[in-house]
Amino acid sequence: MSTWLLSILIFSPMLGVLVLAFVPSHDEKSIKWLGILGTLFPLGTALITLSAFDMSSDKLQLAETYRWISYEVFQSKGEVSYPIFYEVGVNGLSMVLILLTAVVSVLAAVASFSIKKNWKSYFILFFLLEMGMLGVFAAQNLFLFFIFFEITLIPMFFLIGRWGYVEREKAAYSFLIYNGVGSAILLIAFVSMFMKTGTMNFEKLTETFSLPQEELNAVFITDGYMMGMLIALLIAFAVKLPVVPLHSWMVSVHVQAPPAIVMIHSGILLKIGAYGLITFGAGMFPEEFRSLAFVIGLFGVINLLYGAFLALTQTDVKRVLAYSSVSHMGIVLIGLAALNEAGITGAVFQVVSHGLISALLFFLVGALYERAGTSELNDLGGLAKRMPILAGVLLAGGLASLGLPGMSGFISEFMAFLGLFEKMPILAAVGTLGLILTAVYVLRAVLAITFGTEKEQHETYTDLTSAERVPAFVLLAAIMFIGIYPAWLSDMLRPALDVILLGLGG
Amino acid sequence: MLQMSWLIPLFPLLSFILLVVFRKSSNENTAWIGVLLTGASFVLSFGAWLAVWQGDGIKVEGTWFQLGERAITMGYEVNPLNALMLVIVSLVSLLVHLYSKGYMHGDERFSVFFAYLGLFSFAMLGLVLSPNLLQLYMFWELVGLGSFLLIGFYYFKPEAKAAAKKAFVMTRIGDVGLFIGMVLLFWQVGSFEYDEIFSAIKNGELSQSMLTLTAICIFVGAIGKSGQLPLHTWLPDAMEGPTPVSALIHAATMVAAGVYLVAAMYPLFQASETALTVVAVVGGVTAIFAASIGLMQKDIKRVLAYSTVSQLGYMMLALGASGYVAGIFHLTTHAFFKALLFLAAGSVIHAVHTQNIEEMGGLWKKLNITGPLFLIGALAISGIPLLSGFFSKDEILMSTYADGKYGLFWIAVIAAFMTAFYMFRLFFLVFTGKPRGSQKGVHESPSVMTLPMIVLGVLAVVAGYLNTPWFGTFLTDYLSQGPVELLHADHHGPVWIPFVATAVALLGIGLAYMIYQKGSVSRDWLTRTFPGLSHVIYNKWFVDEGYDRTVVKGTTGLSWLGVWFDKYVIEGLVAGVVSGVQALSRLGSEMQNGQVQSYGTFAIFGLVLLLLIAALSGGYFS
Repeated sequence: MSTWLLSILIFSPMLGVLVLAFVPSHDEKSIKWLGILGTLFPLGTALITLSAFDMSSDKLQLAETYRWISYEVFQSKGEVSYPIFYEVGVNGLSMVLILLTAVVSVLAAVASFSIKKNWKSYFILFFLLEMGMLGVFAAQNLFLFFIFFEITLIPMFFLIGRWGYVEREKAAYSFLIYNGVGSAILLIAFVSMFMKTGTMNFEKLTETFSLPQEELNAVFITDGYMMGMLIALLIAFAVKLPVVPLHSWMVSVHVQAPPAIVMIHSGILLKIGAYGLITFGAGMFPEEFRSLAFVIGLFGVINLLYGAFLALTQTDVKRVLAYSSVSHMGIVLIGLAALNEAGITGAVFQVVSHGLISALLFFLVGALYERAGTSELNDLGGLAKRMPILAGVLLAGGLASLGLPGMSGFISEFMAFLGLFEKMPILAAVGTLGLILTAVYVLRAVLAITFGTEKEQHETYTDLTSAERVPAFVLLAAIMFIGIYPAWLSDMLRPALDVILLGLGG
Repeated sequence: MLQMSWLIPLFPLLSFILLVVFRKSSNENTAWIGVLLTGASFVLSFGAWLAVWQGDGIKVEGTWFQLGERAITMGYEVNPLNALMLVIVSLVSLLVHLYSKGYMHGDERFSVFFAYLGLFSFAMLGLVLSPNLLQLYMFWELVGLGSFLLIGFYYFKPEAKAAAKKAFVMTRIGDVGLFIGMVLLFWQVGSFEYDEIFSAIKNGELSQSMLTLTAICIFVGAIGKSGQLPLHTWLPDAMEGPTPVSALIHAATMVAAGVYLVAAMYPLFQASETALTVVAVVGGVTAIFAASIGLMQKDIKRVLAYSTVSQLGYMMLALGASGYVAGIFHLTTHAFFKALLFLAAGSVIHAVHTQNIEEMGGLWKKLNITGPLFLIGALAISGIPLLSGFFSKDEILMSTYADGKYGLFWIAVIAAFMTAFYMFRLFFLVFTGKPRGSQKGVHESPSVMTLPMIVLGVLAVVAGYLNTPWFGTFLTDYLSQGPVELLHADHHGPVWIPFVATAVALLGIGLAYMIYQKGSVSRDWLTRTFPGLSHVIYNKWFVDEGYDRTVVKGTTGLSWLGVWFDKYVIEGLVAGVVSGVQALSRLGSEMQNGQVQSYGTFAIFGLVLLLLIAALSGGYFS
């Protein structure tokens, strides 16, 4: 069992697809319930995986390797075989992200109750998307990573384009083009690395690139080549994260995609960018990464402030949250740039924390949109009267987002900044301006929705239903759990991050 | 007893949780949950204080999480300074809980109000018990949350919404200072623990410039929380919250947290003369600045709010002038008499349903308990001998003089005059003369409200005897058990200082009497004599307007600039790339027009191009 566990986990969403295939497409109720059940199975498997995971080990765990494809190339030194394996495995970092994926997927499936049409194809795409995400985090070689990475793009394209709001198609194309360009760069970099080293396996690549320079020169891997690879990878994942100025696709996806899909998009898909930066950037090219640390930190602070400044004057709450995501991803970069234990841990905490917080906030915005038919701040207001629970959870989510202690957002911001202050205190001090701006735009948006005088048309609105309370409370509980007891997460992450830190020499 | 002190903040937290669960209950007996649990906190706090008084103390810590080699700890500590704070906070919180049962009677969200009070009390007590800066910072933010929720309690009022937001944001500006200071200290010392920080300072591990920098950063946090210049504007606006909240949070406890922070980090400040001077100057200037605004306000709560800002300035001045004991002493007495004044003001508002003092008057007879209690509070804050404020203010003046800060000393004396004047302006306008508004059905508040006021009234009189030149310097002896070395433990300033202080207080009261009671001096005497100055003071020195035109407008402007940049530059670039690709593909598709002639032309062109390259590069292609 345990030898297959990870593969079962990755492909577990396919069970949902299989079952759905036998349900008539007009049977809305069954489809929606099966949609939730279909995500519970991966969650269960993920929890079993977690229990099989040894938190204290820094080795790759639950690894599976099968020979998959191989081909021979005739070179000057004779016939060289280039085998490609199916290799999966988890370390602390990917385990955490897999867990996050499984949890957010269940809650997004619940939020998908508000989907109005074509439920069957919606959920089939949804499951495909989930499989892609699980695969991305479990893959242990470039080829597999890339395949799963691409698998996430296609369902997303259709999910945005078919079930989104008014300008959904434009947003879907924007998504596809940006990410397509990112993927192209990624592909070129991956192929090049494969050709130079003859392997696609993460660990072997890391080993190869950490060889002494003389040995590397013998196989034509120069300093310049490594730096070029790193920059290519940084750009590819900068599209995903996204890093200013490559962010505009992400804003339109946030605004146009259905809220359940934004929960996944903002909660997990953006995190692939962070995961890539850590695993490939800092993990494989530590020397080069270190020499770019200031640039990365600078981009982090720019992201943080740029997103925050733009969020200040948006009038649509979805746009506020979109720019807020841009801003919060800046904290990931800030943490990474610090290259110390506090910074890297902070970056990963931010990945998890923002995943939960943005899932919560978009869930609430979706619930709000269901009732009000709008997410314009000017059309809302005074909702605390009719919807005290929604208002309360929204405020709590907002406070988590602005980094209130006791919530996960605080821990991640605190650690990322703590890290950067050791290395680049002045840049970090400029960045702390973002902490103030975040408070301003979060409170502006939240208070505009819930505080103030109630408008007449709101009198018929109802509070969160008990079905809606489940995701809201689960997410809030997770956010507070990490905020109050961060050791749970940091202990799980430490072995994996220590390996990366060792490489970075920090 | 001390082993149980970790329970002190947890009782109010339990109250918060229970009351959130019962938030819909219309039964107002839910208030007793809050009262009883806060009462339990008070009993434990008092026990802890007694134990510390006898020389006991406790510090317990455990690892919160591991950061590389370093353990980030959490725990609790009871020492002389925070034991005193525990008693003040839990006592005032208990009294305010009780008072609120009467004051909030009939409110739709009665239980929610008590829940928020519990949350705030939890955070404040947790702040005080913290043995390290990080934990303090966390609770520091949480008290801000409690304050935010309670200021915005009447969430449907636009003013309350704006005030809550302003309070949160402005204190956060200060918090960032504290955050930076804390993190910088961490990288210098390798710990957030007070003890470790202090021993590192003692061993000279920090450079002088770093000491000054971190001390000032931390002081910025105190400026925000304690409403000092230039971050004071949120505190008067915070009066939008229900009056018991103003008494608890915005007079006695949370706003004093800034003073507490400076006191708790005192060894750091002592190590930097510059930092101490900054503290003293900010405090002194705030004291007179806020007092001047208090002279002309018409809202009873706003007068008290500016008075609070001013008195907090006194405490800062004391700390900055090496008057550690004086600062804490004034914090203690102020907590009692200012909470009393706010509760009394609440009782007045409860009776007449207005906060405008021009619509009050003649309430002395009708409010025969509130009136005398307000008078006690006013006398205490004015510094009339034998009442608590006299002794603590006197110590502040003494320390400032003994520290050689003569300019600040005279500023403080003038501010004392102003204090006496505006307090008695308030007293005469509210309680004496003829009623100016309709006062139908005005009656004294129920005993659940008057009882807490009476307790505070007694304390406002007797708290001064904690530290007097006549009966003994109990507080000084008590605080000197703590980690702070009291350099100027006995400030023997010149003997004339108490007389001057008393004289200016009497002068202020006398002037207020002449103007507002007897009418022998015209009310607009001041405005007529100094029209320009009084216009500026009346408009609160235009600070809010100034911020609005600079910081707020500037930030919004930057935001618009960003939006413009996003829309035209970034999207424009994207659009440019898209149209470039489209043009290229159009060119390509136009070439494929099915006409053999054009294919031939393109082929010839291509051949010419290839030949040209071959000719120029010497016939070598790759």
